[in-house]
Amino acid sequence: MTKLIAAALLLAAPAFAAAQQLLRLPPAALMPKGGGHEYTRPPAIPAPLNDIAGLDYPEPSIATSAYALDSLLSLAASNNPTLVQARLHISGELAKALQAGLYPNPMLSYEADQIFVKNDRVANTPGEFQGAIAQQRIVTAGKLRLSREKYQRRAHVAEHLAVTQQFRVCNDIRIHFYQALAAQATLAIRRELQKTAEDSALTSQESYNMGQARRPEVRRTNVALQRTRLDVLSAENAYQEHFRRLAALVGAPLPGGAVVGELMPECPVLTYEEALQRLIAESPELAAARAKLSVDQATVSRELVQWVPDLVVKGGAGYNFESQEAVAAAGLQIEVPLYDRNQGTVQQARSDYARQRREIDRVELELRDRLATTYQQYVTSLQHAFEYERLILPELKAAYAELLQSYKENRVDWPEVLMAQHDYFDARLTQVDNLMHARTQEVLIYGFLLHDGLRAAQGIAPPGHIDAVPKPR
Amino acid sequence: MSKPHDQNERRRFLKTSAIAAGGSLLGGLVGGHAAAQQPPMQGMGPGMDSMPGMKHGGELPKPIGEPQAGPPTDVSDVYDGYSRFKPGRGNSPDSDYYLGKLMPGFRSPDAAPAPFVAPDLEKLPWKMVRGAKEFHLRPMAVEREFLPGYKMNVYGYNGSMPGPTIEVTQGDRVRIIVTNELPEATSTHWHGLDLPVQWDGASELTQNLIEPGQSFAYEFDVHEEGTFFYHSHIPMQEANGSVGFFIIHPKKPFDPPVDRDFGLIFQNFFIEPSQTIADSWRMDWNWHTINGRSGPFTTPLVCKHGERVRVRIMNFAPMQHHPIHLHGHTFWITGHEGARVPKSAWVPRNTSLIGIAQATDFEFIANNPGDWMLHCHMVHHMMNHMTRQVGPRVRDTTVDRYLANLDVHPSGDLTKEDPGFRTPGYPQKMQGMKMSDEFMQTIWNRREVQGMRAMWPMSVMGLMTTLRVLPDDLYRIVMESDEPVEKGAVFAEIVRRFGTPARYEAAPKMKGRM
Repeated sequence: MTKLIAAALLLAAPAFAAAQQLLRLPPAALMPKGGGHEYTRPPAIPAPLNDIAGLDYPEPSIATSAYALDSLLSLAASNNPTLVQARLHISGELAKALQAGLYPNPMLSYEADQIFVKNDRVANTPGEFQGAIAQQRIVTAGKLRLSREKYQRRAHVAEHLAVTQQFRVCNDIRIHFYQALAAQATLAIRRELQKTAEDSALTSQESYNMGQARRPEVRRTNVALQRTRLDVLSAENAYQEHFRRLAALVGAPLPGGAVVGELMPECPVLTYEEALQRLIAESPELAAARAKLSVDQATVSRELVQWVPDLVVKGGAGYNFESQEAVAAAGLQIEVPLYDRNQGTVQQARSDYARQRREIDRVELELRDRLATTYQQYVTSLQHAFEYERLILPELKAAYAELLQSYKENRVDWPEVLMAQHDYFDARLTQVDNLMHARTQEVLIYGFLLHDGLRAAQGIAPPGHIDAVPKPR
Repeated sequence: MSKPHDQNERRRFLKTSAIAAGGSLLGGLVGGHAAAQQPPMQGMGPGMDSMPGMKHGGELPKPIGEPQAGPPTDVSDVYDGYSRFKPGRGNSPDSDYYLGKLMPGFRSPDAAPAPFVAPDLEKLPWKMVRGAKEFHLRPMAVEREFLPGYKMNVYGYNGSMPGPTIEVTQGDRVRIIVTNELPEATSTHWHGLDLPVQWDGASELTQNLIEPGQSFAYEFDVHEEGTFFYHSHIPMQEANGSVGFFIIHPKKPFDPPVDRDFGLIFQNFFIEPSQTIADSWRMDWNWHTINGRSGPFTTPLVCKHGERVRVRIMNFAPMQHHPIHLHGHTFWITGHEGARVPKSAWVPRNTSLIGIAQATDFEFIANNPGDWMLHCHMVHHMMNHMTRQVGPRVRDTTVDRYLANLDVHPSGDLTKEDPGFRTPGYPQKMQGMKMSDEFMQTIWNRREVQGMRAMWPMSVMGLMTTLRVLPDDLYRIVMESDEPVEKGAVFAEIVRRFGTPARYEAAPKMKGRM
């Protein structure tokens, strides 16, 4: 039995070693002699971070350039490519309207009929008729007008979609502006927290010398300091990220700099019903969907008259070689709608119209769906932001101040003061986050839930699709 | 006793008598002639200014009082080798007068007992009703100013914490009507008295609780004598301060008679910093009071050189015993809360451990002039709200720069290395002890402390007070006149007469305000 266990252990040992190798183990710990026998210096306060800390650290980190929201919006208006795309969509549709309303051109032809017909004089004449014929299609039932109107309405849809795109861009600029602003504030607070951690490290050294702390506690304080320094670097990196994304949205290179603005939401707070009514009444997405219904209505009207035959009239003058005299020719052509009365297309157009009615419902419901989530985040972040501003931050600040005063009067320990200060600064970090979320959601609520300003501008047809035909209808 | 003891009234009487009987003397003591009457001191010029090595020579108080008057001549000074006017042991430990054991005070044995004085506490008035001394005691929540500007919320009686002193004579019949003004039930226990059980005050065991707004009359004959006390028998009310002295004078005065009879109640509380409500649930205690005040707000016990003094100390701390130490004198333990100890069992001591709910009476001859500490010797009881010293207060920086902008943390110098920190254990001296001007004014605005050294409030803290033994002329100036006395003047005068003036250094003025 013992042998079995020993064998099992031998088999297990390599497996254990292999498992150990899978783990990335930290360097071996410095093992000092056991404490408490003689005086040992405490672990020193760690030096600042290594070289890689300066890898993405622009000099100076915050340049003198300062960017306000309005200037960034102006820059984006002239540089963001999607806004140009949106304008081109409108132009495209207007061009189609132009094309669709153009009257068909006349046809000129030369006709030679019954070549080699005989007459009294010649066995084979050049023909009974040779001459020029002019032919003109006479469009009936207002087809051209209806087609033009249809594309004009499509241009109107494109206008709504352009407004949508403008909101996407502007909202996104705003959101990233506030995120950059928040990252900037976070960085400033992180730097304060670093100083608190440095104070804690100093306090730890003092405590050690007064027999009130042991080396492991000093080490923990040192580690806390170094983690705080890493947090500062993370905050700097985050700010750089947000600033660079902002520059990408603007569409123009921005030299490094600071953003200046106000994080606290400024618009009147909306109830859910107010936000919903505003969205239903004014959303450009919904307006585009409604305008598209008008296009589909026009399409039905257009297709309903398609079966009405156009008249094709023609006439000309020529020479009758049989009778050897000049003659005229005339003709009238009309399609007899015996089988094809455009029933299928009419049915399709009516289906499209009905589908679009449902599309409006769908867009509205989708907006409601998006609003439900956004409003929840909006109201939650506002509740947090306002309550932090009204009570939580002042209370924490007062607690810190009272403890400072008590410390001044020798009534409390310094670590307790530092803890209160940390709590206050930490809550300020949370508040920055609250404000950032509140601002973001405010932008979305007031901006009809539109964002993603580098998405290609949406046209009435899918992007890149060529639906231009010689004669669109 | 027909009316409560009034120290102010007594002081007024003494002051008036002194002026009537010896106005010229008192005038001479404090006036500008004092310096001229001052005999030249050994090693000194006509004034203190020229004293070599004197750091604050120019500020040394001028001589006051009338040293030539000397001690009284109508009393016996030495008993079997023991002098009432200078420290000593006497000729033999077996002598009745060894360490002044049975040396009488100045007071006549035929006179009534010396008035009992519990500094900073009132006495409960009474009137005779149906053959009994009737007292009215009202348990209630009270506010007590532990230190100037520190008004703490505790429980007590009749607006005071500790409650007013009940003072009777052995053999009296007393009726004490307790009316509960607390919002919770209570009962009152008469600690140490052998009573018919129904008056013992042990809640529920012997009586129903006194509900809020209700009264209960305790009535009994007093056959005991000595130092007793009353307190609530609800534990947390006890811990919150519900206690008071019950002093019973013997029908036959104790021998030898004493000139002073002081009473001190020692208490502890836990009060959070920036809080005023005592937390009676805590297991540690950070505020320490004597008769409801903390040092340096405790009022000194002032007596005259050569008097026989009795001090009764009662420990009402919730869970800490106190080793009480008196400087400059060896005292005889003459009684406890149970009874006066037979003389054969008296013990001489400098320090006496007084347990919770115990009282100890001790007596001594005040033969060593000066300002003497009387304190609990537990280090943590010699201060209040003791806190660790780390942080700005040991970095030579001020907390004000943190207070100046709460949103920014001032940078610390991580490279800074205070040379002191090369010594493990540094710093042990408490730093940053500051007292406001208002605080100091209140401390100094009492006759009992006049003429003490300028820095004395820095050393008398927590569970500490002082015993002042003053020559007759200085006692009169301090306690029976309204004359202004320069800080340190009385102390310097005692040094002149009884010490080594050539080596005396005056206390520095505290930043020009003292």
